[in-house]
Amino acid sequence: MLYGIAALVSLVGLGDAIYLTVEHLSGRSVRCTIVSGCSEVLSSPYATVRGYPLAGLGAAAYFVVFSLATLAAFGYKGTGKLLALVVGAMFLTTLWLVYLQAFVIHHFCQFCLLSALVTTILTLLVVYARIKGLD
Amino acid sequence: MKRLLPFVIIAMVLGAGLLTARYLLTPTTTEVPRPTPVPDASPSATVANPGESGAEPPWTFGNPSAPVTLEEFGDFECPPCGMLHPVLKEYARQYGPSKLRIIFRELPLVPTHQHALAAARSAEAAGMQGKFWEMHDMIYETQKDWHEAFDTRPIFEGYATKIGLDLEKFRKDISSDAAEQRIFLDGKRAHSLGVKGTPTVFLNGREVPFESLAPEKLKVLIDDELKNHQ
Repeated sequence: MLYGIAALVSLVGLGDAIYLTVEHLSGRSVRCTIVSGCSEVLSSPYATVRGYPLAGLGAAAYFVVFSLATLAAFGYKGTGKLLALVVGAMFLTTLWLVYLQAFVIHHFCQFCLLSALVTTILTLLVVYARIKGLD
Repeated sequence: MKRLLPFVIIAMVLGAGLLTARYLLTPTTTEVPRPTPVPDASPSATVANPGESGAEPPWTFGNPSAPVTLEEFGDFECPPCGMLHPVLKEYARQYGPSKLRIIFRELPLVPTHQHALAAARSAEAAGMQGKFWEMHDMIYETQKDWHEAFDTRPIFEGYATKIGLDLEKFRKDISSDAAEQRIFLDGKRAHSLGVKGTPTVFLNGREVPFESLAPEKLKVLIDDELKNHQ
């Protein structure tokens, strides 16, 4: 049940990351807009890793999380541990990205914050699953 | 079968994700209809969706009879506007005033950009002494220098001195109602045309998709427009 919820939650993150990747690749998000700080965040040097959009890596990570959570929900042994490792790494990355937005870029992108929220929920779910001894 | 089900679900999500990305990446054009004259129009007849008129007269480079008009809604603090600036300046040089007319409209995005309004007011104040474009160029070209400054007033006053403005008049004009009114009217025009961000460029009344503002793509659009006009 917990892993099923995690799979569904990861879909929200996947959709968000796909949207951000597309915005990045099309250049649309680089435009300055009245209501969002996304242009500042996504046009910053932190939005790419060796030329690749960070949001694309996020989409890949969410897809991995979805796959592992689905497999864990169907009782595949060992996938719960692997999921905890991936989600843990994502949570640490999320903390770093929120720090960058708050103290370095000085702008928040609401889509990036949604991703941070999703990763935090995933982390809580996975930690709870580990405490309950689910695998 | 039950063992296979999760893999089927994963494959379906992967397929859906890729299809969504592909669909979203397909360029869309959000065109404002080309202004078309009303049939058997009287001299006072209006055109379709021309939007609000904006500040009059607008800041214009090039001849009114030029076959191609680019109207830019810009924010001096917006980084992509700063990147577009040298491109438009180069086009103005390449095509010349008889072929290309460029109109600049103020759209300071407040509060996203803390100094955008001060920059717009400074450009307007310079315009009141006949040096809008000189200040416009200087503010854009030094965007990185003042972008993070605490107080931009002394910086812009320095530019005013540099381009030979009467500093006392400049200081007065910056906070004048006339400057504010021009910025307000340009903003009203932007709103009436559905402009959502900066830079937004209209080519002979049609909005150029943001992704087409890349120098090589914009040049193709201008050339096509010139060809159509011949």
